[in-house]
Amino acid sequence: MNTHPMKLVTIICESLAGKHVKKLLRETGAHGWTLFDVEGAGAQGERPGDIKEFGNIQIEVIVPPNTADQLLERLHRDYFPRFTMVAYTSDIQVLRREKF
Amino acid sequence: MDFFEAIRTNLLSPAVIFFVLGVLAVVFKSDLKFPEALYVTLTIYLLTAIGFKGGVAISSAGFSVVLIPGLAAMMLGTAIPLWTYPALRYLGKLAPVDAAAIAGHYGSVSAVTFIAATNYLKDIKLPYEDYAAAFLAVMESPAIVVGVLLGKLATRRQGEPLGAAVKTSLHEAMFGRSVFLLVGALVAGALCGKRGMAGVEGFFVTPFQGVLALFLMEMGMVAARRIGDLRKVGPFLLGFGIVGPLLHGFIGAGIGHFAGLSLGGVTLMATLSASASYIAAPAAMRLSLPDASPTLYLTSSLAITFPFNITIGIPIYYAFACWWQS
Repeated sequence: MNTHPMKLVTIICESLAGKHVKKLLRETGAHGWTLFDVEGAGAQGERPGDIKEFGNIQIEVIVPPNTADQLLERLHRDYFPRFTMVAYTSDIQVLRREKF
Repeated sequence: MDFFEAIRTNLLSPAVIFFVLGVLAVVFKSDLKFPEALYVTLTIYLLTAIGFKGGVAISSAGFSVVLIPGLAAMMLGTAIPLWTYPALRYLGKLAPVDAAAIAGHYGSVSAVTFIAATNYLKDIKLPYEDYAAAFLAVMESPAIVVGVLLGKLATRRQGEPLGAAVKTSLHEAMFGRSVFLLVGALVAGALCGKRGMAGVEGFFVTPFQGVLALFLMEMGMVAARRIGDLRKVGPFLLGFGIVGPLLHGFIGAGIGHFAGLSLGGVTLMATLSASASYIAAPAAMRLSLPDASPTLYLTSSLAITFPFNITIGIPIYYAFACWWQS
């Protein structure tokens, strides 16, 4: 089967940052994303996720490599100082390149 | 009623007992956990119910009756951060942005604390103005905006515009889910009046106490999960989380008295004044004052002030109300 290389960008952040991240995704030209509520522990201690506003979310977005770079750069510059956030990329293969 | 009897009555109400049960569930590491969706559902129910009931009361009392105490409540909410800020800043030696964020929380109000107070008044069979939910609605937002302004003014870098942060906090303060729902339900109740109440009473009034008990059990767990953070806030804030509300409760009772409320109404005004926001304010502060530490403001309002108010605070505010009215 003919697959194409793409990047999966995963962003785990406090749910209050969600609105801002989605805006950024639109600006950088991502075609779609997936968002879910998550809980866990990290630099901020445990995030119990009992109240939605103070919980964490995870956003996953598939984009071409250059968009992924751009996205991480903007996150690093604009949002890392303001919000509790972790972001990383992974190499993935997709079937329909034009979807992303 | 003797003061200790008043506290005992409050502690033995189903709502407070279930709150303690929630705390115990976390302390003993029980696997009891409410789904997040239930938490949201219960909040929506409680806010809609008290808003609607308050709105119906406004329609029968007349808007002009509510106006003076409503304005007094609003001014009180706006003024509290103005003296809380310097106290935190200079007595507590907190960073300006933290002092401002906390000041906003204590000027704003907690709906659940208010509901617990109405519950207590019902328990001791003391009548109160049903339209008091309107005070709750007008006290939630102003302090948040004042807190954000104080924080921005204190930490403003040269040439940085104030507008964006104030706009964000205004939006959050006016259209955050709690204020929006409460104001919406108030308007709905005011439009429907008594006739509308007859139709929804079986849903919004009869099961209310049970829903409140269930919700407070969840709040007990939410508060207890943050007990560990008490170590991080320092002795000053621990003390402030109790002394601040007592002082605000006393002042609030005085304002309620001069605004012409009944003994029950004065108790509610004192409770509102003493309570601190733990949903609307933290969300607004996180977005508008990102440099302020959430551990400080959330722990003091949620893990110190909230439990204090619903257990011992409310009977004390009732005592303050009695003192002013005598």
